[in-house]
Amino acid sequence: MSWRSIHRWLGLLAGAVALVLGLSGVMLALDPVRDAWNSTPAPADMAVSTLAARVSATIPGVEEIRRLPSGDIVVFSFDADQARAVRVDPADGHVLGEYRPSALSRWVKNLHRSFLLGDAGRIAAAGVALAMLVLSASGLVLLVRRMGGWRRLGARARGSLVQRLHVASGRAVVAVLLLTSLTALYMSAATFGLVSSDAEFDPDVVSVAGAAPDLPAGRLLLLQDLRSAELRKLNFPDRADPADTWSVTTSRGRGWIDRRSGQTLAWQPASATQRLHDWALLLHTGEGAWLWAVVLGATAACIPLFWATGLMLWWQARRRTPKIADNSAPAQSDVLIYVASENGSTWGFAQALHAAFVRNGHRVHTGGVEHFQVGAAARQVFVLAATYGDGQPPAHAVRAARRIAHQPGGTAQVTVLGFGDRQFPAFCAYAEALEHLLRAQGWPALLPLERIHQQSAQQFALWGRTLAEALGEPLALEYVPQVPPTTALTLVSRQDYPGAKGEPTAILRFAWPAQGWRDRLRGRGLARFEAGDLVGIVPPGTAVPRYYSLASASRDGFLEICVRRMEGGLCSTHLHALERGDTVQAFVRENPGFALERARRPVVLIGAGTGVAPLAGFIRGNARRTPMHLYYGARDPALDYYFGPEIEAWLREGRLARLETAFSRRPDGGGHVQDALRRDAPRLRGLVSKGAILRVCGSRPMAKGVAEALDAILGAVGLSVRQLKAAGRYAEDVF
Amino acid sequence: MSKPLMTTVLAASALALPALAQSRPVTLTTTLENYGGDGAYLAVYLTDAKGAYVGTLWVAGGKAKYYKNLADWSRLSAGDARRLDGVTGASVGQGRTLKVSADLADALIDAGYEIRIDAAVEDMRDSPGEIRVPLTRAGAGKPQAGKSYVQSFSYQIQ
Repeated sequence: MSWRSIHRWLGLLAGAVALVLGLSGVMLALDPVRDAWNSTPAPADMAVSTLAARVSATIPGVEEIRRLPSGDIVVFSFDADQARAVRVDPADGHVLGEYRPSALSRWVKNLHRSFLLGDAGRIAAAGVALAMLVLSASGLVLLVRRMGGWRRLGARARGSLVQRLHVASGRAVVAVLLLTSLTALYMSAATFGLVSSDAEFDPDVVSVAGAAPDLPAGRLLLLQDLRSAELRKLNFPDRADPADTWSVTTSRGRGWIDRRSGQTLAWQPASATQRLHDWALLLHTGEGAWLWAVVLGATAACIPLFWATGLMLWWQARRRTPKIADNSAPAQSDVLIYVASENGSTWGFAQALHAAFVRNGHRVHTGGVEHFQVGAAARQVFVLAATYGDGQPPAHAVRAARRIAHQPGGTAQVTVLGFGDRQFPAFCAYAEALEHLLRAQGWPALLPLERIHQQSAQQFALWGRTLAEALGEPLALEYVPQVPPTTALTLVSRQDYPGAKGEPTAILRFAWPAQGWRDRLRGRGLARFEAGDLVGIVPPGTAVPRYYSLASASRDGFLEICVRRMEGGLCSTHLHALERGDTVQAFVRENPGFALERARRPVVLIGAGTGVAPLAGFIRGNARRTPMHLYYGARDPALDYYFGPEIEAWLREGRLARLETAFSRRPDGGGHVQDALRRDAPRLRGLVSKGAILRVCGSRPMAKGVAEALDAILGAVGLSVRQLKAAGRYAEDVF
Repeated sequence: MSKPLMTTVLAASALALPALAQSRPVTLTTTLENYGGDGAYLAVYLTDAKGAYVGTLWVAGGKAKYYKNLADWSRLSAGDARRLDGVTGASVGQGRTLKVSADLADALIDAGYEIRIDAAVEDMRDSPGEIRVPLTRAGAGKPQAGKSYVQSFSYQIQ
């Protein structure tokens, strides 16, 4: 079982019951807060003897003085056949009022610890506490993985609203939840006697018989030594029993005093387990520590939030995961299909392959490549791997390579089918990496690696025919292209530029379709986005999206992209033909490594051509005036100085600290952006030494040139682009 | 306000002094008040004429960690390793009745022995000596109220 499935199933099962514990926990946490407001505590250094003397003077027949965790002093007395319980003011011993513990609190407490079901309920509640412990631990593991390591745990949570709610609240309270479930388990164990909390027997002590009268409380030496802050309770000797003694319980231990001589007859110091129990009680209930109770209450309030958002995440993932008909268990399947897909499109191909094999009577299992496992029954294994950007694996598959590397090769034949886009130099790089790894592990191949360009159905069908021949059985692949769920975006304005090489460029601004909170919670409609994220545009008549970097964040209220019309480019031509009021079908995709995290560190932005778009988005969103330095390369201010007027306005407003331009086609323009960097080398060294974050966006050759220039500049201070990348401070968005 | 006697706990224990074979069943009936709290822990035990512990008749409430709140019983019975043998049951809810039947040696009756009950309720006062009644033929069948929790206590000698 993976951490994720443990977290998911335990959350779904135990979460519903934990809801009761969470809600009752919130109500219980209010008690210490309310008590703190209403209490009349004794001064911490007041001697217990003083307190006892004052109380004896005002209340007849005192049997017990109890100090509540809130500091309130409660006196139990029995006089003239009348049992009384009153709160007193420790300052003078006068009665403040009757003491009546709240029946509602008692009911909620019993609900919280036993579901009002006695011992069976207590065991169930302990089970839920154990589940919470495992949920918190597994949640922490998943959180660390998601954020990319312990050191990035504090980074900004990303994703849909529901994901962010689940992750951000989890990050805030996971430590308290762990502590709360641990203390709950400890208290359950103490209740059931599995751990002892105090000495088993009281010492056998009696007051020595004699004619002397009882000593008053004020003259008892032990009570003079004890402070009211440590008092738990003080029991007066029984009037009817001459052998009875005083007994006092404090946080440090228990003592017994002779009623006539005032001698301390016995002192039992609190054991280590007793102290541990006291701590567990304090940490779990927050009694007597109202600030901590507030923290506990907030944490408990997060449980319903976790459960609801977790349930929604599970439901959304279920809805998104393609349904594979007749999916057999991996161990029993003779055909295994493993998929690596960023937005789900590759699953469509897997479905077609799966169905074809099932029709031929095979037992087939299809799953994510992160579950790669070849059972003894497997004869044929297929890995369908999509590649994005620089050849990185899709997010769900980041750990797949390690999993494959841990499995020695077997006799089953493993065939890799890559999916990608020839526009990218790293075309099918991830599939190639997997192919390489599988061969290195010793897995035999049925077919060599095939690379499918832009989800081509024809190419896939052709591969299917080759496969059928190799297998010696007919195989009918029926692939229906899948389009990711899109939203219609309406163009509200456009700025046109002649462009550098006779390829006109436009900055297109689309309205951000405001969603109702219901759609947002369900994860429908367009996801929220940050500048630097990507928008996928699906041009009419195709199922293959093209991605553009966003020059705005959703909080700006619009989506802005900068599009150069490519010769023969289906999507860019379509976009350039748009007029105000026209719509395109689009969806949003995260670009987690590139979008800026909220940090107070200086930012160095380096861009050229349309690559300046996401950088413009960063500056636009820089309301906190983080020092941002932009190095901007273009050809000619008259042709391709995209966002020029805006950038200069942001410079005046202080959103941009500094602007360095380089216009390569102007005699005095300053050359390329790399030249601008070299001219500014001392400043760059200073910024990077101060921990600056770097973002580079533009063409691949430009990014390479920038990296070389920076390596030369930073070499003087012993730094390199590679080091900065490894530290998560340097990211590129190249096309 | 008294609740109907919803629960009657029937329990039995035997307490006989060695060499005194003659014994008779005694039924102890304890009805609790509606004191507004969780189930009460009760220790029903016997002391002799000098106030020394003789034996435990019944302990209501199963969690040992609360026994120290039954202070007198806890202290007096500390030396009795078998004080809980066969004489424990669930705590008694408010308004409910606990019925305990014990086989007591004849020699214990009208001999200065006392039946005592210590009571404790979570978050409420501890009540050692909640009930203290002499074990006599004359006192049988005469109900008596406790200090805090017991509405009425009586015993029947057969």
